[in-house]
Amino acid sequence: MKKGFALLETIIVITFVSVSLLLLYGTFTNMFNNSEKNIIFDNASDIYKTYFLKEYLAMDNLNDLLKNENIINISCANFEKSDCETLIKNYHISNIYISKYDLKNYDKSKYKANFNEYLNSVTNKDNYLYRLIVEYKNNNTFSYASIGFGDNHE
Amino acid sequence: MSKKGVTILELLISITLTSIIVLLLIEVIISLNKVNNNENYASDDEIKRTEIIKNIESDFFKLKLNGLTINDNKILFIFEDNSTKELTINTNSLIYDNEKYVLETKNATYSTCFKYNYQDLDNNYYLITLDIPVIIKNKKDFKGDDISLTYLGLKKENTNYQLNYTC
Repeated sequence: MKKGFALLETIIVITFVSVSLLLLYGTFTNMFNNSEKNIIFDNASDIYKTYFLKEYLAMDNLNDLLKNENIINISCANFEKSDCETLIKNYHISNIYISKYDLKNYDKSKYKANFNEYLNSVTNKDNYLYRLIVEYKNNNTFSYASIGFGDNHE
Repeated sequence: MSKKGVTILELLISITLTSIIVLLLIEVIISLNKVNNNENYASDDEIKRTEIIKNIESDFFKLKLNGLTINDNKILFIFEDNSTKELTINTNSLIYDNEKYVLETKNATYSTCFKYNYQDLDNNYYLITLDIPVIIKNKKDFKGDDISLTYLGLKKENTNYQLNYTC
Protein backbone atom coordinates (compact mmCIF):
# COMPACT_ATOMS: atom_id res chain seq x y z
CA MET A 1 0.00 0.00 0.00
CA LYS A 2 1.31 3.41 -0.90
CA LYS A 3 1.38 5.89 1.96
CA GLY A 4 2.93 8.88 0.20
CA PHE A 5 4.55 9.99 -3.07
CA ALA A 6 7.10 7.66 -4.62
CA LEU A 7 10.41 9.13 -5.78
CA LEU A 8 9.40 8.61 -9.41
CA GLU A 9 6.19 10.62 -8.94
CA THR A 10 8.09 13.43 -7.26
CA ILE A 11 10.67 13.52 -10.09
CA ILE A 12 7.94 13.59 -12.78
CA VAL A 13 6.12 16.47 -11.08
CA ILE A 14 9.35 18.41 -10.49
CA THR A 15 10.44 17.91 -14.12
CA PHE A 16 7.06 19.13 -15.38
CA VAL A 17 7.16 22.22 -13.16
CA SER A 18 10.81 22.92 -14.19
CA VAL A 19 9.96 22.76 -17.89
CA SER A 20 6.99 25.10 -17.37
CA LEU A 21 9.15 27.58 -15.46
CA LEU A 22 11.89 27.42 -18.09
CA LEU A 23 9.35 28.15 -20.83
CA LEU A 24 7.96 31.05 -18.80
CA TYR A 25 11.45 32.41 -18.20
CA GLY A 26 12.30 32.07 -21.90
CA THR A 27 9.19 34.06 -22.84
CA PHE A 28 10.04 36.85 -20.42
CA THR A 29 13.67 37.00 -21.51
CA ASN A 30 12.49 37.37 -25.10
CA MET A 31 10.12 40.16 -24.11
CA PHE A 32 12.90 42.05 -22.30
CA ASN A 33 15.30 41.63 -25.22
CA ASN A 34 12.70 42.89 -27.69
CA SER A 35 11.89 45.90 -25.53
CA GLU A 36 15.63 46.69 -25.29
CA LYS A 37 15.94 46.44 -29.08
CA ASN A 38 13.13 49.00 -29.47
CA ILE A 39 15.40 51.48 -27.74
CA ILE A 40 18.71 50.63 -29.39
CA PHE A 41 17.49 49.84 -32.93
CA ASP A 42 16.07 52.70 -35.03
CA ASN A 43 15.38 54.93 -32.06
CA ALA A 44 13.41 58.05 -33.19
CA SER A 45 16.12 60.57 -32.29
CA ASP A 46 18.84 58.42 -33.93
CA ILE A 47 16.85 58.27 -37.18
CA TYR A 48 16.66 62.08 -37.34
CA LYS A 49 20.38 62.37 -36.57
CA THR A 50 21.12 59.86 -39.34
CA TYR A 51 18.98 61.86 -41.77
CA PHE A 52 20.81 65.12 -40.93
CA LEU A 53 24.18 63.39 -41.28
CA LYS A 54 23.18 62.17 -44.75
CA GLU A 55 22.09 65.69 -45.69
CA TYR A 56 25.27 67.29 -44.36
CA LEU A 57 27.55 64.83 -46.14
CA ALA A 58 25.46 65.29 -49.32
CA MET A 59 25.42 61.56 -49.85
CA ASP A 60 22.71 61.68 -52.50
CA ASN A 61 25.24 63.36 -54.80
CA LEU A 62 27.78 60.59 -54.49
CA ASN A 63 27.93 57.89 -57.12
CA ASP A 64 29.15 54.32 -56.90
CA LEU A 65 30.15 54.54 -53.24
CA LEU A 66 30.59 50.85 -52.69
CA LYS A 67 32.37 49.88 -55.92
CA ASN A 68 32.50 46.09 -55.60
CA GLU A 69 31.98 45.84 -51.85
CA ASN A 70 28.74 44.92 -50.10
CA ILE A 71 29.41 47.03 -47.04
CA ILE A 72 32.11 49.57 -46.13
CA ASN A 73 33.08 51.53 -43.06
CA ILE A 74 33.50 55.22 -43.89
CA SER A 75 34.81 58.22 -41.98
CA CYS A 76 35.10 62.00 -42.35
CA ALA A 77 38.23 61.45 -44.45
CA ASN A 78 35.95 60.31 -47.28
CA PHE A 79 34.26 63.72 -47.43
CA GLU A 80 35.44 67.25 -48.00
CA LYS A 81 33.59 68.72 -45.05
CA SER A 82 35.70 70.57 -42.54
CA ASP A 83 33.19 70.30 -39.68
CA CYS A 84 32.33 66.66 -40.22
CA GLU A 85 34.18 65.66 -37.03
CA THR A 86 32.25 68.30 -35.04
CA LEU A 87 28.97 66.81 -36.20
CA ILE A 88 30.15 63.28 -35.36
CA LYS A 89 31.24 64.38 -31.89
CA ASN A 90 27.95 66.20 -31.22
CA TYR A 91 25.93 63.19 -32.33
CA HIS A 92 28.09 60.67 -30.38
CA ILE A 93 28.70 58.64 -33.54
CA SER A 94 31.18 55.79 -33.25
CA ASN A 95 30.95 54.25 -36.73
CA ILE A 96 29.43 55.02 -40.11
CA TYR A 97 28.77 52.29 -42.67
CA ILE A 98 27.40 52.25 -46.19
CA SER A 99 25.91 49.05 -47.51
CA LYS A 100 23.86 47.89 -50.46
CA TYR A 101 20.23 48.63 -49.61
CA ASP A 102 19.18 45.04 -50.10
CA LEU A 103 22.18 43.53 -48.31
CA LYS A 104 22.09 39.76 -48.08
CA ASN A 105 25.63 38.41 -47.89
CA TYR A 106 28.50 39.94 -45.99
CA ASP A 107 31.23 38.74 -43.65
CA LYS A 108 29.40 38.82 -40.31
CA SER A 109 32.54 37.88 -38.37
CA LYS A 110 33.96 41.39 -39.01
CA TYR A 111 31.15 43.13 -37.13
CA LYS A 112 29.64 43.29 -33.65
CA ALA A 113 26.84 40.83 -32.79
CA ASN A 114 24.40 43.71 -32.19
CA PHE A 115 25.27 45.24 -35.56
CA ASN A 116 24.57 41.92 -37.33
CA GLU A 117 21.32 41.59 -35.40
CA TYR A 118 20.35 45.10 -36.44
CA LEU A 119 21.04 44.41 -40.12
CA ASN A 120 18.99 41.26 -39.80
CA SER A 121 16.05 43.27 -38.45
CA VAL A 122 15.90 46.00 -41.12
CA THR A 123 13.30 45.82 -43.86
CA ASN A 124 14.04 46.40 -47.54
CA LYS A 125 10.61 47.63 -48.58
CA ASP A 126 11.77 50.85 -50.28
CA ASN A 127 13.54 51.26 -53.57
CA TYR A 128 17.00 52.63 -52.75
CA LEU A 129 20.49 51.71 -53.89
CA TYR A 130 22.36 52.24 -50.63
CA ARG A 131 21.81 52.25 -46.91
CA LEU A 132 23.58 54.60 -44.52
CA ILE A 133 23.98 52.80 -41.19
CA VAL A 134 25.17 54.78 -38.19
CA GLU A 135 26.37 53.36 -34.89
CA TYR A 136 25.89 55.69 -31.92
CA LYS A 137 27.64 55.24 -28.60
CA ASN A 138 26.15 56.64 -25.39
CA ASN A 139 27.38 55.53 -21.96
CA ASN A 140 28.95 52.36 -23.43
CA THR A 141 25.65 51.42 -25.09
CA PHE A 142 25.68 51.07 -28.86
CA SER A 143 22.54 51.96 -30.79
CA TYR A 144 21.90 51.78 -34.53
CA ALA A 145 19.83 53.65 -37.09
CA SER A 146 19.81 53.59 -40.87
CA ILE A 147 18.34 55.40 -43.80
CA GLY A 148 18.12 54.52 -47.49
CA PHE A 149 19.52 56.76 -50.21
CA GLY A 150 20.38 56.80 -53.91
CA ASP A 151 17.58 56.33 -56.43
CA ASN A 152 17.20 52.90 -57.92
CA HIS A 153 16.24 53.53 -61.54
CA GLU A 154 16.10 49.86 -62.52
CA MET B 1 11.21 -2.24 -1.20
CA SER B 2 9.78 -0.78 1.98
CA LYS B 3 7.50 2.27 1.46
CA LYS B 4 7.43 3.32 5.08
CA GLY B 5 9.52 6.41 4.65
CA VAL B 6 12.08 8.19 2.47
CA THR B 7 15.70 7.16 2.25
CA ILE B 8 18.52 9.72 2.58
CA LEU B 9 19.19 9.39 -1.19
CA GLU B 10 15.55 10.19 -2.03
CA LEU B 11 15.65 13.14 0.34
CA LEU B 12 18.87 14.48 -1.23
CA ILE B 13 17.52 14.15 -4.77
CA SER B 14 14.28 15.91 -3.78
CA ILE B 15 16.16 18.75 -2.07
CA THR B 16 18.46 19.21 -5.09
CA LEU B 17 15.56 19.32 -7.55
CA THR B 18 13.55 21.64 -5.30
CA SER B 19 16.58 23.97 -5.01
CA ILE B 20 16.90 24.17 -8.81
CA ILE B 21 13.21 25.05 -9.11
CA VAL B 22 13.43 27.67 -6.35
CA LEU B 23 16.43 29.26 -8.13
CA LEU B 24 14.53 29.39 -11.41
CA LEU B 25 11.51 30.80 -9.64
CA ILE B 26 13.64 33.53 -8.02
CA GLU B 27 14.98 34.52 -11.47
CA VAL B 28 11.43 34.79 -12.85
CA ILE B 29 10.28 36.77 -9.82
CA ILE B 30 13.23 39.19 -10.16
CA SER B 31 12.38 39.73 -13.83
CA LEU B 32 8.72 40.33 -13.02
CA ASN B 33 9.72 42.68 -10.24
CA LYS B 34 11.76 44.70 -12.75
CA VAL B 35 8.63 45.20 -14.86
CA ASN B 36 6.61 46.10 -11.80
CA ASN B 37 9.15 48.66 -10.64
CA ASN B 38 9.49 49.97 -14.19
CA GLU B 39 13.26 49.76 -14.02
CA ASN B 40 13.11 49.21 -17.74
CA TYR B 41 11.56 52.18 -19.46
CA ALA B 42 7.88 51.27 -19.79
CA SER B 43 6.77 50.62 -23.33
CA ASP B 44 4.01 53.23 -22.99
CA ASP B 45 6.67 55.88 -22.42
CA GLU B 46 8.81 54.60 -25.27
CA ILE B 47 5.87 55.18 -27.60
CA LYS B 48 5.23 58.59 -26.04
CA ARG B 49 8.89 59.54 -26.38
CA THR B 50 8.81 58.64 -30.07
CA GLU B 51 5.57 60.62 -30.49
CA ILE B 52 7.05 63.75 -28.86
CA ILE B 53 10.25 63.60 -30.93
CA LYS B 54 8.31 62.94 -34.15
CA ASN B 55 5.83 65.79 -33.54
CA ILE B 56 8.53 68.36 -32.78
CA GLU B 57 10.96 67.24 -35.50
CA SER B 58 8.10 67.19 -38.06
CA ASP B 59 7.45 70.85 -37.27
CA PHE B 60 11.19 71.58 -37.66
CA PHE B 61 11.01 70.02 -41.14
CA LYS B 62 7.64 71.32 -42.31
CA LEU B 63 7.77 74.85 -40.93
CA LYS B 64 11.58 75.11 -41.10
CA LEU B 65 13.06 76.09 -37.78
CA ASN B 66 14.68 79.52 -37.91
CA GLY B 67 15.29 80.49 -34.30
CA LEU B 68 15.03 79.48 -30.67
CA THR B 69 14.92 81.25 -27.32
CA ILE B 70 14.95 79.75 -23.83
CA ASN B 71 13.34 81.25 -20.76
CA ASP B 72 13.66 79.07 -17.65
CA ASN B 73 11.72 75.90 -18.47
CA LYS B 74 10.12 77.30 -21.64
CA ILE B 75 11.64 76.91 -25.09
CA LEU B 76 10.20 78.99 -27.90
CA PHE B 77 10.74 77.64 -31.41
CA ILE B 78 10.57 80.29 -34.15
CA PHE B 79 9.83 79.13 -37.69
CA GLU B 80 10.54 80.66 -41.11
CA ASP B 81 7.01 82.07 -41.48
CA ASN B 82 7.51 83.80 -38.08
CA SER B 83 5.03 81.46 -36.39
CA THR B 84 6.10 80.14 -32.97
CA LYS B 85 5.52 77.04 -30.88
CA GLU B 86 6.36 76.66 -27.22
CA LEU B 87 7.74 73.66 -25.37
CA THR B 88 7.30 73.75 -21.59
CA ILE B 89 9.31 71.32 -19.48
CA ASN B 90 7.84 70.38 -16.11
CA THR B 91 9.12 67.53 -13.97
CA ASN B 92 5.99 65.47 -14.57
CA SER B 93 5.02 66.57 -18.08
CA LEU B 94 6.09 68.13 -21.36
CA ILE B 95 3.70 70.54 -23.05
CA TYR B 96 4.27 71.17 -26.75
CA ASP B 97 1.84 73.18 -28.87
CA ASN B 98 -0.81 72.88 -26.08
CA GLU B 99 -0.52 69.10 -26.02
CA LYS B 100 0.54 67.54 -22.72
CA TYR B 101 2.75 64.45 -22.53
CA VAL B 102 2.80 62.82 -19.08
CA LEU B 103 5.24 60.06 -18.13
CA GLU B 104 3.59 56.80 -17.08
CA THR B 105 6.70 55.14 -15.67
CA LYS B 106 6.75 54.98 -11.87
CA ASN B 107 9.41 57.29 -10.37
CA ALA B 108 10.23 58.80 -13.79
CA THR B 109 10.55 62.57 -14.21
CA TYR B 110 11.70 65.00 -16.88
CA SER B 111 14.72 66.99 -15.82
CA THR B 112 14.29 70.75 -16.11
CA CYS B 113 18.09 70.91 -16.30
CA PHE B 114 18.22 70.23 -20.03
CA LYS B 115 21.17 70.66 -22.38
CA TYR B 116 21.08 72.94 -25.39
CA ASN B 117 23.87 73.57 -27.86
CA TYR B 118 24.19 75.70 -30.98
CA GLN B 119 27.12 75.07 -33.29
CA ASP B 120 28.17 76.75 -36.53
CA LEU B 121 29.28 74.33 -39.24
CA ASP B 122 30.92 74.91 -42.61
CA ASN B 123 29.04 75.99 -45.77
CA ASN B 124 26.62 78.10 -43.70
CA TYR B 125 25.20 75.10 -41.91
CA TYR B 126 24.38 75.19 -38.23
CA LEU B 127 23.52 72.41 -35.83
CA ILE B 128 21.34 72.58 -32.76
CA THR B 129 21.00 69.79 -30.21
CA LEU B 130 18.53 69.80 -27.35
CA ASP B 131 18.57 67.02 -24.80
CA ILE B 132 15.87 66.76 -22.13
CA PRO B 133 16.92 64.02 -19.69
CA VAL B 134 14.37 61.57 -18.32
CA ILE B 135 15.38 60.54 -14.82
CA ILE B 136 14.15 57.24 -13.44
CA LYS B 137 14.80 56.78 -9.71
CA ASN B 138 17.11 53.85 -8.88
CA LYS B 139 18.02 53.41 -12.54
CA LYS B 140 21.35 54.23 -14.13
CA ASP B 141 21.13 57.23 -16.43
CA PHE B 142 20.47 56.00 -19.97
CA LYS B 143 20.57 58.34 -22.96
CA GLY B 144 18.07 56.20 -24.84
CA ASP B 145 15.32 57.37 -22.46
CA ASP B 146 16.00 61.09 -23.06
CA ILE B 147 14.05 63.37 -25.37
CA SER B 148 16.82 64.24 -27.83
CA LEU B 149 16.04 66.76 -30.55
CA THR B 150 18.33 67.95 -33.29
CA TYR B 151 18.20 70.19 -36.32
CA LEU B 152 20.65 70.91 -39.10
CA GLY B 153 19.78 74.09 -40.94
CA LEU B 154 21.15 76.57 -43.43
CA LYS B 155 21.94 80.00 -41.99
CA LYS B 156 19.88 82.94 -43.23
CA GLU B 157 19.99 86.67 -42.52
CA ASN B 158 17.19 86.54 -39.98
CA THR B 159 18.26 83.31 -38.26
CA ASN B 160 17.92 83.96 -34.54
CA TYR B 161 19.22 81.33 -32.12
CA GLN B 162 20.21 81.55 -28.50
CA LEU B 163 23.84 80.38 -28.49
CA ASN B 164 23.92 78.43 -25.26
CA TYR B 165 21.96 77.58 -22.16
CA THR B 166 23.00 76.57 -18.68
CA CYS B 167 20.43 75.51 -16.11
